Amino acid sequence: MDIEKYIASGILEAYALDELPANEKVEVAAKLALYPELKAELDAIEEGLENLALESAVTPPDFLKDKILGSVEDEISGSVERESGDQEISKSESRASGGQAKVVAMRPNTGKVWRQLVAASIVITLVSTYLAVDYRTKWKDSQESYEQITQNLELQAENFNQVKQDLDKLEQDFNVLTNSDFGRFEMASVVDGQDQYSASVFWNQKTLEAYLSIGTLKTLAQEQQYQLWAIIDGKPVSMGVFDFDSEGLLKMENVSGVATFAVTIEPRGGSENPTLSAMQVAGNVG
Amino acid sequence: MTEGNLVAALRAKDKEALSYLYDKYGAALYGAALRIIQDEEITQEVIQDVFLKIWDKIGLYNENKGRLFTWMLNLTRNAAIDKVRSKEIKRSAKTDRMESSVYTIDLQNSTEMSVDGIGLKALISELDPDQQFVLQKVYFEGFSHSELSEEYDIPLGTVKSRLRSALKHLRRKVRD
Repeated sequence: MDIEKYIASGILEAYALDELPANEKVEVAAKLALYPELKAELDAIEEGLENLALESAVTPPDFLKDKILGSVEDEISGSVERESGDQEISKSESRASGGQAKVVAMRPNTGKVWRQLVAASIVITLVSTYLAVDYRTKWKDSQESYEQITQNLELQAENFNQVKQDLDKLEQDFNVLTNSDFGRFEMASVVDGQDQYSASVFWNQKTLEAYLSIGTLKTLAQEQQYQLWAIIDGKPVSMGVFDFDSEGLLKMENVSGVATFAVTIEPRGGSENPTLSAMQVAGNVG
Repeated sequence: MTEGNLVAALRAKDKEALSYLYDKYGAALYGAALRIIQDEEITQEVIQDVFLKIWDKIGLYNENKGRLFTWMLNLTRNAAIDKVRSKEIKRSAKTDRMESSVYTIDLQNSTEMSVDGIGLKALISELDPDQQFVLQKVYFEGFSHSELSEEYDIPLGTVKSRLRSALKHLRRKVRD
């Protein structure tokens, strides 16, 4: 360590004037113990401070000394009183200066007050630590509840939307079913031994809108779909594909001049031309 | 009385020792406090408190850490600074001081009041203005190093080294 430089930095003066933060104070104290030159310099600094203070002294008023010595006297008697007196002289002093003792009666208590303050601050620290932990736990709990509630809400909203869509669909279906412009055309099973198969088309011959309603159709494999055909002028026209498990009324392509409706099983996505051998249901118009 | 004897006597609660201590250092500590507080009455209160504290806490004084006077001086300075802060006298006083751009005039005024020794005043005037300023603020007015550094925008290290130069100069001369 460069001792000259260390001294020149003024750190020892700051140490002497109690200006250093605790960590630096410890550091300087350690170096002082290690380097006698530093200790010697600190002594010189302290002597300098003392001389400077003596040089720049201001004489206090005379009564101050009496006041100080008087209050110390009171204090002695005060503390002896508290400690149930081990000095006879002080006891008598205490009686003699009983009147004055009242003035500084608080002083011996400062230790007690101080202890109480320390005790209080420890209690406050413990309580606030407990509260901090407690609040943190509660905060975490409420954070979790909040997230759960948010999730629930999202789920509810999804459900609501689903229900609303279902309701809209039903309403739409209801409008179709109650609209007298729509005619209902039944398609019956054309498969031997499977009479239960059925489906119907709701067709508005004014607006040409068409809806399909599945009665009973067999379950299809994943790669298959049903396809609705309209036979117009003797030719099959695709009205679109649908899955076997579709519910409600299915909107199909608009058509006009239909003679026959028919449903075939086709590869998923539908075919250009119907696979007649796979026809399931069919029904004539009129 | 040597310092060791004095401390031992104070620890034994010898009132004569306190009387001696007051006679020897009372005026020095009074001057130190008065320069910071700038009010005689409050300074008297503070000095009374300081001596009571010395009396009560002499057990806490550790002679290995430094001289008795240094310990008392720091007790005094801290008490004076606390008092000034608690009364918020400082705030207005500080502002006033900052307003006077020529701090050397200010320095002369306050040292006029507090520095009895003509020799010391002359010594201080020998210092360069930067050193005078730091000495004035820290030693005579009770600014902490960091306060001075922040309020006047002087690096902390510079505050320390300037104060050292100033105190060293005074030390050398005072001893002569």
